[in-house]
Amino acid sequence: MIRLLSQLQKSRSPARVTNLVVKMPQIIAHRYNATVTVDQYFEPMHPLLLKRAENLSNEFEDLEKQMSLGAFDQETSIKFSNVSIVLDLYNSYVRDLENLKGLVDIVNEETDAELISEAESEIETLVPLLQACSQNVQKRLLPVLKHSDKPAILELRPGVGGSEAAIFTKDLLNMYIAIAHFNRWPHTIVSEGENSAGFMNEAIISIDAPGAYNILRHESGVHRVQRVPATEVKGRIHTSTAAVVVLPKISEGTEQSLADDERQFSPSEIRIDTMRAGGKGGQHVNTTDSAVRIVHLPTGITVMQQDERSQPRNKAKAFSILRARLAQLEREKEVAEQKKLRTDQVTTTDRSDKIRTYNYSQNRVTDHRCGHLIHDLPGFMAGTKFAELVERLEETEFEDRLQNLIAQENCK
Amino acid sequence: MARLTLNLLRRANAINPQLVPLLKATRSLQLAIAELRWIKQELPRSQWTDAIRKRAQLVPLQYILGSQPFGSLDILCSPGVLIPRWETEEWCMKLVDVLRSAAVSDISVLDACTGSGCIPLLLKKELPALQVLAVDLSDKALHLALENMRRANVTIDVQKVDVLNYNAVPEQRFTLVTSNPPYIPASDFDKPLLLNGVDASVRLHEPRMALVGHLEFYRALARDIVPACHSEGVVLELGYEDQYLETIANLPLNWSHGRYFDLAGNLRCAIAWKNGSSMECLGRLVNENQSHP
Repeated sequence: MIRLLSQLQKSRSPARVTNLVVKMPQIIAHRYNATVTVDQYFEPMHPLLLKRAENLSNEFEDLEKQMSLGAFDQETSIKFSNVSIVLDLYNSYVRDLENLKGLVDIVNEETDAELISEAESEIETLVPLLQACSQNVQKRLLPVLKHSDKPAILELRPGVGGSEAAIFTKDLLNMYIAIAHFNRWPHTIVSEGENSAGFMNEAIISIDAPGAYNILRHESGVHRVQRVPATEVKGRIHTSTAAVVVLPKISEGTEQSLADDERQFSPSEIRIDTMRAGGKGGQHVNTTDSAVRIVHLPTGITVMQQDERSQPRNKAKAFSILRARLAQLEREKEVAEQKKLRTDQVTTTDRSDKIRTYNYSQNRVTDHRCGHLIHDLPGFMAGTKFAELVERLEETEFEDRLQNLIAQENCK
Repeated sequence: MARLTLNLLRRANAINPQLVPLLKATRSLQLAIAELRWIKQELPRSQWTDAIRKRAQLVPLQYILGSQPFGSLDILCSPGVLIPRWETEEWCMKLVDVLRSAAVSDISVLDACTGSGCIPLLLKKELPALQVLAVDLSDKALHLALENMRRANVTIDVQKVDVLNYNAVPEQRFTLVTSNPPYIPASDFDKPLLLNGVDASVRLHEPRMALVGHLEFYRALARDIVPACHSEGVVLELGYEDQYLETIANLPLNWSHGRYFDLAGNLRCAIAWKNGSSMECLGRLVNENQSHP
């Protein structure tokens, strides 16, 4: 390609006549129709993103200056490496775009047919590369979502549908465990609750891989199932739901993290309830009741844990869940504020909406946010098709976030 | 104690007949469900019936299962030795946190009336630099403490010592003295739970020797053992205000002290430290001025 470009510079004729124009008598009119442009191969980035890239490169210079002056703390260096990765990608995008422009110019202005066909074939190989590169850059140019580097906590609860909903919740739990296995994410079941009839009424699972939150956060919402339940005798298809809440995991929820968790809250902010019936407590009582309930007074969030035999362990788990819920709340607030700026109503990510349907009789999983269908329900439940769906969801979300960013910019 | 209603028994029976005998011990359905789950998790199927039968006779679940979690450790429990309580676990973990952040080097700890060894073992496990000696009078306790030491994979010294007669031991220096001595007055031991007495399960199945005691232990610890060991700080678990007052009355003159309340809002420990010493960090455990639930 470099060879072509240099030839182009040498052979650029002052007349600027394309070979097509030569054949056509009405020069001006047909010249516009015939000329190839960059846009027809490739949609360039939104100007807003280009502006962000500019800001980023300014930031990079600042960071570089700071680093050279000896500011070498962890935060700066992480920021530095993040920015430099994005900039590297951006630079290669700019370089490729320039090349494409050069090739397009050749096609438009060259007279040598052989040179043109060579340029065209080069364009064909370049365009898909450029597209992939630009997608990658654009994704990274959007502001980083809060907590996207964190592990995740998933809370599952049955919705409408009685015992069938409970069975489906259990199926979903198994699906997330399968997904974790498939991706080799370490995971633990934090707690599992059963109602008096022995059906699951709550499950909390922690996926302890950094960044798991960023992938699994798309799972938040109502999941709908359509199938003939195991409990149905007449063979009718039922529709039931289960709700999934995905939280960023802030603290480990172990004895080691407990002291730190407790320091995060002032005593007036939380109330911790434990077994109180024991009168004097201590040596007087040897109960196994180790349940702990934490109430966060400003928000009214209540977390109860009783699965462990050790009370501090229950307390640590409860704190971990409380902190995750608070972090999620904070994030939702942020997202809502950004959304408010937009005039058109966005229907995605609303928790009251069903996000996905699992139709067993048609062997189909439909995601209602991106409209993607997967015709392999067992495969999806086994975790193998999950990545495919996440990719589609991320594309949809990217569009959405870009629109938000544009709206935000317009408001300024 | 709440009476078991026929309705509750019926409901338990409808869920799982195995819950009914457990209710005699737990008095609450929720707890019975939890205990049944722990029994099924930790014991082989062949022992379930026997475990449930024993539990109905108010044998502590910790003896039936054979262990109790204590911080990061799993402490073995067997009849004849006091079961570690959550209150002890709570202050012990806070103590670890305080000692760790104070970063005082070269600390040695004496734990008197160690029982299962839970306190010294957790301290040693979390803070490996400590020098630890655990003492008790009961042979069963000493035996179990040694077994727990092997299980926790740490090394501490264990000796047979009568705390009420400390002169018998060779003099040694200990920076910190911890203890969970017997602190239920004999008069309270036979009272029901609601009158500040003890749980029937405790009275029937836990060793009286580890439970019944009063001011004499605090006097001995503060007046005899602290000076003999040249200690700079103490953390003593207790259950009564008298015991706190007895402790501070017998401490050397230039010491400061404060009360520690547990999560349930009960007075649980006497904390004291020598002014100007490295153990002043223990002051952070004192929470008597904070609001209590």
